[in-house]
Amino acid sequence: MLEVRDLQVSIQETAILHGVNLVIPPGAVAGLVGRNGAGKTTLMRSIMGLIAGIRGAIALDGQDLAKASPHRRAHLGIGYMPEDRRLVPELTVEENVLVPAWATGSADIAQRLRWIYQAIPEVKSFAARKAMQLSGGQQKLVALARALMTGRRLLLLDEPFEGVAPALAHRLVEVIAGLRADNLAVLLSESDYTHSAALVNQLFVIERGSVRQA
Amino acid sequence: MRGPAVAIGLPFLLFCGLIAAGFLMPGWLRFITLIALAKGLVVLSLMLLMRAGLVSFGQGLYYGLGAYAAGLGVNLLKVTEALALLALGVAVAGAVAWVLGFLLTRYREIFFAMLSLAFSMILYGLLVKSSALGSTDGFNLPTPTFLGFAFAGTAARHALFVLTASVAFAAALLLHRYLGSTRGYLGEAIRENEIRVEYLGASVRGALHVKYVLSAALAGAGGALTAVATGHIDPDLAYWTTSGEFVFVAILSGTGSVAAPFLGSFVFEMIRTYAFAYSPNTWQMVVGATMLLVIIFMPGGLWSLFRRRPRLVTRS
Repeated sequence: MLEVRDLQVSIQETAILHGVNLVIPPGAVAGLVGRNGAGKTTLMRSIMGLIAGIRGAIALDGQDLAKASPHRRAHLGIGYMPEDRRLVPELTVEENVLVPAWATGSADIAQRLRWIYQAIPEVKSFAARKAMQLSGGQQKLVALARALMTGRRLLLLDEPFEGVAPALAHRLVEVIAGLRADNLAVLLSESDYTHSAALVNQLFVIERGSVRQA
Repeated sequence: MRGPAVAIGLPFLLFCGLIAAGFLMPGWLRFITLIALAKGLVVLSLMLLMRAGLVSFGQGLYYGLGAYAAGLGVNLLKVTEALALLALGVAVAGAVAWVLGFLLTRYREIFFAMLSLAFSMILYGLLVKSSALGSTDGFNLPTPTFLGFAFAGTAARHALFVLTASVAFAAALLLHRYLGSTRGYLGEAIRENEIRVEYLGASVRGALHVKYVLSAALAGAGGALTAVATGHIDPDLAYWTTSGEFVFVAILSGTGSVAAPFLGSFVFEMIRTYAFAYSPNTWQMVVGATMLLVIIFMPGGLWSLFRRRPRLVTRS
């Protein structure tokens, strides 16, 4: 379970998030909807520890994340899919998915990879191709697969449907909906309700750095 | 793709050829090659940092520390074994880097470059003011023993060449294996995107700290070997122009292979030697012009000469 309490974030002395509170239980898919510049990415990055100088509390299953350095959060079971995918273009799809497992030294790499391939069979079908040879939508699927490699307790998906063709976006919705069964807490952001409306259990609306539950 | 026999066998053959050549070449060339190998270790240490996107303008700090540790090992601790002096140089440089690494790994780009330069100049300042260490004159080292054997004259010079070439070969081989490992590749990953490295689960500062200590240990080895080879050390080893020369050679060499720093270092020493012989008043201009040509025509450094060019797709 992810618990964010009174989170306040400033970047270069400009307040971005003002006292954000949210709770996402395991097995729930939460939507974070807001316009560009509302603070969606800042909230995701704060949970991932990628922004310094934040105030408030962020806890995962009761464990205070403030005490965990950014890279340790992947070890704690948090997977992050950034908006711009950030795959390594020269590596194959499978290598891209495996990179976090190499970095964290996971013991069950093969088993986890099999599970990911079962959840997203498309990724297996282009596993041997270089990431640079994929379309933007396919890259989103691979970035989701990579986030799933470490995301065993919490998945942070930043604008997963942005710039994706409708058919692939529909496929992404299916995959994310399928994750509910795995007791994973999912937080996904979107600029409108187009895709998340039918998908989410909880809806948070973010506006100028303030979050309210809808 | 190269087979494993070629990947392992070819460097080993080159190493054997270098050792054999050391016995055949004239004394002046052997000395230049030896110095090029020792300084090549420092350039190799810079290459390790450059692959992670860091350029140190203060590698003279560890080059000087390695040399002074070896020198003081002989004069104060009465250590005479060359390998022990080498280990001392590596250990002192590595230990200092481990402490400084906590601060330096927080900085990037020009801030890292300038801070590393500042630390090397602090060492230079301390050495210059220290009369017990010979101040600006430095001090001399006697010829060490090699695995317990006390060689003299030409035999000692041959032994020193074999030792330096062996250390350079072993360091290059180990670093090659390291750079091919997950931890090694982290350097490129950090250079590309630090945030990505963090959210994928690896510590950027931890990885850079390890690389910084490894780099210092290599530079310390280069310093200790130079001290033993020349039989003399002075504060100029830690001066900023010495550090600048290493960066110069690193750019000249390129970062494509662990062999590149040694090739670049040898080419640099040869250019400098001949430029100095034929044009003693303007030799720096010759070296500068060479650098200019390399940057214009070989932006990837000398090593780009050995890179395979992509095959052109031709229509039948």
